[in-house]
Amino acid sequence: MRRLEVDGIPAVLAPVTGPAHAGLVFRVGTADEPLARRGITRLVEHLVTDGLDPAGRTSWTTGPEHTWFHVQGSPTEITEFLTGVCEGLRNPPADRLAEVRELVQGARPERDPLPMWRHGARGFGVVSYPEWALPGLTEAHLREWISRWFTRENAALWVAGDEVPEGLRLDLPAGVRQAPPAAARTLPLTPAWFTGGVGWDTVIARGPEAAVFANVLERRVHRDLRDLTAQTRTEYVPRSDGTARILIVAEALPEQSEAALGGLVDVLAAVRAGQIDPDEVASVVKLTGEGLRESESRGARLPGQAFNLLAGREVQTLEEALAEVRAVTAADVARVAVEAYDAGLLMTPPGSTAEWAGYTAAPAMSDTVPAGRVHRGRRDRALRLISGAEGVGVTGHGVVAAVRWDSCAALLSWPDGGRHLIGEDAVTVRVEPTMYRGADRVVREVDARIPERLRIEMPARDRDRIPQPEPASGAGTGRLYATAILCGVLALFLLGGGLWILVQSLAGPGTGNPRGEDVLALAGSLVFGVMLGRHGWTAGRELGSRRS
Amino acid sequence: MLPAMPPRQPDLDPAAAYPRITGLRDALDSGDWPACRAVLDASAPVERTELTMVPFAEPGLETFLRGVLDGDPGDGAAAALLGRHLIGTAWRVPTGARAERGAPRRPAGRTDGLVTAERLLVDAAARSPRDPAIWTARLVTARGLRLGRSEAARRYRRLAEIDPHHLPAQWQYLQQLCPEPGGDWEPAHAFARETAEAAPPGSFGPVLVAEAHLEHWNREHHRQPGAGRRYLADDRVRAGLHEAARRSVWHADFRHTHGWVRVTSTFAMAFALLDDRPAADSLFTTLGDLGSDHPWYHLGDPGAVIVKYRKRVAGGGT
Repeated sequence: MRRLEVDGIPAVLAPVTGPAHAGLVFRVGTADEPLARRGITRLVEHLVTDGLDPAGRTSWTTGPEHTWFHVQGSPTEITEFLTGVCEGLRNPPADRLAEVRELVQGARPERDPLPMWRHGARGFGVVSYPEWALPGLTEAHLREWISRWFTRENAALWVAGDEVPEGLRLDLPAGVRQAPPAAARTLPLTPAWFTGGVGWDTVIARGPEAAVFANVLERRVHRDLRDLTAQTRTEYVPRSDGTARILIVAEALPEQSEAALGGLVDVLAAVRAGQIDPDEVASVVKLTGEGLRESESRGARLPGQAFNLLAGREVQTLEEALAEVRAVTAADVARVAVEAYDAGLLMTPPGSTAEWAGYTAAPAMSDTVPAGRVHRGRRDRALRLISGAEGVGVTGHGVVAAVRWDSCAALLSWPDGGRHLIGEDAVTVRVEPTMYRGADRVVREVDARIPERLRIEMPARDRDRIPQPEPASGAGTGRLYATAILCGVLALFLLGGGLWILVQSLAGPGTGNPRGEDVLALAGSLVFGVMLGRHGWTAGRELGSRRS
Repeated sequence: MLPAMPPRQPDLDPAAAYPRITGLRDALDSGDWPACRAVLDASAPVERTELTMVPFAEPGLETFLRGVLDGDPGDGAAAALLGRHLIGTAWRVPTGARAERGAPRRPAGRTDGLVTAERLLVDAAARSPRDPAIWTARLVTARGLRLGRSEAARRYRRLAEIDPHHLPAQWQYLQQLCPEPGGDWEPAHAFARETAEAAPPGSFGPVLVAEAHLEHWNREHHRQPGAGRRYLADDRVRAGLHEAARRSVWHADFRHTHGWVRVTSTFAMAFALLDDRPAADSLFTTLGDLGSDHPWYHLGDPGAVIVKYRKRVAGGGT
């Protein structure tokens, strides 16, 4: 493997046994996209390759941290494709934007809900969200994005072949090398759980021990969940910041999701308890070694080495990589297993929890709402929308959600006035003017407080998609009416009776002093009258609030 | 004429039939863990599981067992005992049999206790994946914590891989399969039938057929004696019970190992309820002075109820 430079771009080159191929990678991915720009990298990637008519086998991909353009073919084909990509980045075909956007919108990336719970609505967590921003992205947005991320300093090249193809020109604008995305964390406690499907992920220190552990875990999960799942998938994703993510997704068979969860819990508990079979570790180490050799011969290790260059790491020779993997022992794997378990985030099927297995519920709500002006819910006085100097929040029916003005990741805005604020911690506050009294004022405040760059204009909603207050149930209303009227009449009767006693005893023919029994009757009618009056008043108010 | 059976109440204490319980209790009492292990390790798998299920109420038992586990987190016997103890504490009911019965309403404190037990058992099963006592306990927690029928089935399969004829676990799993009143009883009866058919001749397994019928009778028809009698007197039920008894308590290979009293007592109650007097009488005779709480507590105070039925089937009552 050779280190070289092509037009100022660092490159790795290694001869291969099969067909030649090459790739150009940029240090940009979904983890770099603000939520209000989610999807922009993929759009760029598709736009700049759109006009090309490549002869070789080509592909382009946006990952969490890297975006790369890959081509397999003759030196001419490689040169044509990569040079074309660079030209596209210099001069994006803006006239094709609408069509390419449609294409990109049509091919939605697979949803991965775990990162949002771990990282919030920023950095690595953004990948969990839909690409809401796509329809609103303009040529200006794309040019700005390209000039920051798709630069000579932020690129690396790999070539699997004997030489760099003659005539390969990578004409990219100058820029700066971008640091790895910060791994923001919103999970206060791990191991944690949330409800979604059946899955698990963890973030640990990257390295050969972690990679071997991921393989051991994959085999174990496959073995133990085979009868309960249609398929299981395990991924080991090293990150530039020196960590790695391990992901398990289990697609449970119908009616088996609880068992799949139980099986996964048991596998994780077993590896954490040190139940690591040394023979299994040995065979994984052996297979990993064989895989590395095979990858080397195909040039499949080169992309990883190019990623390393972008992260400021040195390239690693096959011998170094093999030596590292061979040194991994069952004890190393057991140590990683404890680290992985402790940092774990478990996804449980709907209706299931994981408190019983020792996992803490991942926070789905805010602790408090900011102080401010309260808008009560229409027909539902328990609902409250609060808007204040710090931020906005909603409470009611066990839900507490708040977003501070200064930590809003994105604002979704509908033409009907609906506004959803998504906080950096992934908590969403839904400001729906249909649901709260006088909420138009809050909508105006939200629009004034949230900067334009965080705003996403959403397409108009159908009428039935706009939330409406729950209609008050007829029976409940009837009972309230009856209560209000009965209590009111009785209260009037008692208070009137009391008054009559008072008048009688004062104006009566007696001594002029009220008699004892009169005083008692007077006090009684006053007390009961006031009690019933209050009761009727409460029922009346409730009726009033339901009508509004 | 005097009735054949003595009128005095049967001895319902399991320790009367199984002396190892006393041995284990003494060892726990004196905080002698090696002695406890000696008793448990010398026991056959079913006996060992049954021993961990005895509701020992020794003061300081939890502290003692936690101490043992701190010293050796991999001690499956200590984990099983502690798990069962925590489950029993969660239910706060004195007898083992009743402690495991699913109550429709579960107070929050009970769930907390079961969660504590289950967390311990998750780790215990991870360290001792082939310990049937631990998997039996995890069937109790799966039901108590409502972890789902498929999860209970998974746990039962894990256990059946270790021991396909482990009656204590089969009984727990049968409880899981029993529906709420008005539900579908076929899964419970099917499991009982299949288990009985797969059980070796003269073993305890076929008692599950009787257990399933008694649960069915109790949950659906207990409040209507007429319907209850009709249910049990059905020809198929009667034939199924006889067949099960022939494969178990009436078989020449039936041995008086740990659990035999409850098995015999369960058949006795089933036959007593369907008024098969000779069948019930022969089983009462086998039991002699011994008896079991389960399943007689369905009918009231077990001691008194057994005396009543014993008299009746022996011809002393109506």
